[in-house]
Amino acid sequence: MISRPLKEGFRGVARHWGMSISAAIAVTITLVMISIFMIFSFNLENFTKDIESSLEISVLVDYDYDSQEQIDRIATELNDIDGVSEVTFSDKEQEFDFYLNSFEDETTRSAFEPFRDDNPMHNAFYLEAKSGSVIESVAEQAKTIEGVDTVSYGGQSTIDLVGAMSSVRKVGFVIVVAMTFLAVMLIQNAIKLTISSRKDEITIMRNVGATNRFIRSPFLIEGIITGILGSIIPIGLSIVGYTYLYRVTGGHMLSNMFNLLAPNPFIYRLAIALVVIGVVVGYIGSWISVTRYLRWKR
Amino acid sequence: MIECNHVYKQYKNGTNALYDLNISVEQGEFVYIIGPTGSGKSTLIKLLDGEETPTKGDVNVVGINVGKLRPRQVPLYRRNIGVVFQDFRLLRAKTVFENVAYALEVINMKKKPIQKRVGEVLELVGLQSKSASFPNQLSGGQQQRVAIARAIANRPKVLIADEPTGNLDPEKSDEIMDLLEKINARYGTTILMVTHDLTLVNKHRKRTIVLENGHIVADLAEGGYVRHDQ
Repeated sequence: MISRPLKEGFRGVARHWGMSISAAIAVTITLVMISIFMIFSFNLENFTKDIESSLEISVLVDYDYDSQEQIDRIATELNDIDGVSEVTFSDKEQEFDFYLNSFEDETTRSAFEPFRDDNPMHNAFYLEAKSGSVIESVAEQAKTIEGVDTVSYGGQSTIDLVGAMSSVRKVGFVIVVAMTFLAVMLIQNAIKLTISSRKDEITIMRNVGATNRFIRSPFLIEGIITGILGSIIPIGLSIVGYTYLYRVTGGHMLSNMFNLLAPNPFIYRLAIALVVIGVVVGYIGSWISVTRYLRWKR
Repeated sequence: MIECNHVYKQYKNGTNALYDLNISVEQGEFVYIIGPTGSGKSTLIKLLDGEETPTKGDVNVVGINVGKLRPRQVPLYRRNIGVVFQDFRLLRAKTVFENVAYALEVINMKKKPIQKRVGEVLELVGLQSKSASFPNQLSGGQQQRVAIARAIANRPKVLIADEPTGNLDPEKSDEIMDLLEKINARYGTTILMVTHDLTLVNKHRKRTIVLENGHIVADLAEGGYVRHDQ
């Protein structure tokens, strides 16, 4: 017997139109705010990840440690360092080509070409760190390995940036959680108002012998419908707004370093999240509010 | 049908509402409970429909000890009795038909029998033509007739009426009385009616129990009542 609560739920929304709309508006307002903060913090997370993954530590090998065994030994030791996710080797020749190719014009390149036989480049390893925060310690440990000549990374300013981004991200996350909590309170309050105006209705239902579950189920459906109604506008705004923002900015903020998340699938996942939040909050809000009137009533 | 044995009721705030109440009502009887405001009439109704529990003593209705029911059992018990209130207590957002049908939906009756039964009781109270109306489109007398139709829809053995004519003018009150008498006669439904309308009590004579300050001061089998101070 699922059809009765469903039918009654829809009927309830339709017959208490004004109340349903006011509760749905509370849902709408909070979901719009949640959406904005979620877009903000997910993109921030993306920025941070982009920057962190572009951070490389280069380890140059001493000229005296040229043999294959030495190189293998150093590679193993580098791999063993905590926080290293990937180690790539690039030998002298590759390094020389890489250096040469950094010049745009042919003349400069040919000017360096004679040095190939007396290659001044080092054999090198490139390390990728698992996160921005461990770069410094990875570099320190790499330096202590026998046969390592120099270790370099983006420098202190890069690490500071990563640190700053991660604290902004944490704050963003706290704000999203706080907003969601606020939304639950707001919506529960709005639903409580719609239900308290129907306290008499609940009392009458008890009077004619309806069980608590029988009374509650249509109200829960109403809560879910309210949640869905309330999420329509935030979803529309998010999809249209974000897609527009992405198109206008070309997917970049400030510089090419900050890439925005592509609208597909990000914004559609966000839309699903918004509906789910709306439905769950509507359901919980109704449950709390109806149960409050049912509990003390014999 | 209805048995009250040494029933006491004292409210949490210390108010004493009923003292050592003993009432016995047989099946098919029509009984008035009368008394001034504060005599304990409302408390008695609340004990009978399970809204309150007695402080001491037993309240038995249709063989069920009402005071001992757990809250979750109360709705199930209420399906055995019909209750009519002074303020009608109809669901405002539902039509006349849906209001009566609701009492049958709660006992999981199927759609077809519900339609048939609602038609029957609305015919009995003379409101078939109003079945699609909402309560606020009806007069007080009509609303009370809907409430009575709802109360008897699932054929309860006992009908409790709490001041059913309290909000109605004498003419409409008479109509309601005729209807209740019809139900009592046709279905053998036991009816317990609380009222303070002495004109009505003297006109439609029935067994009358008089409450004052929580005590039964008279139980007149032949009916009719004249106040002491008159």
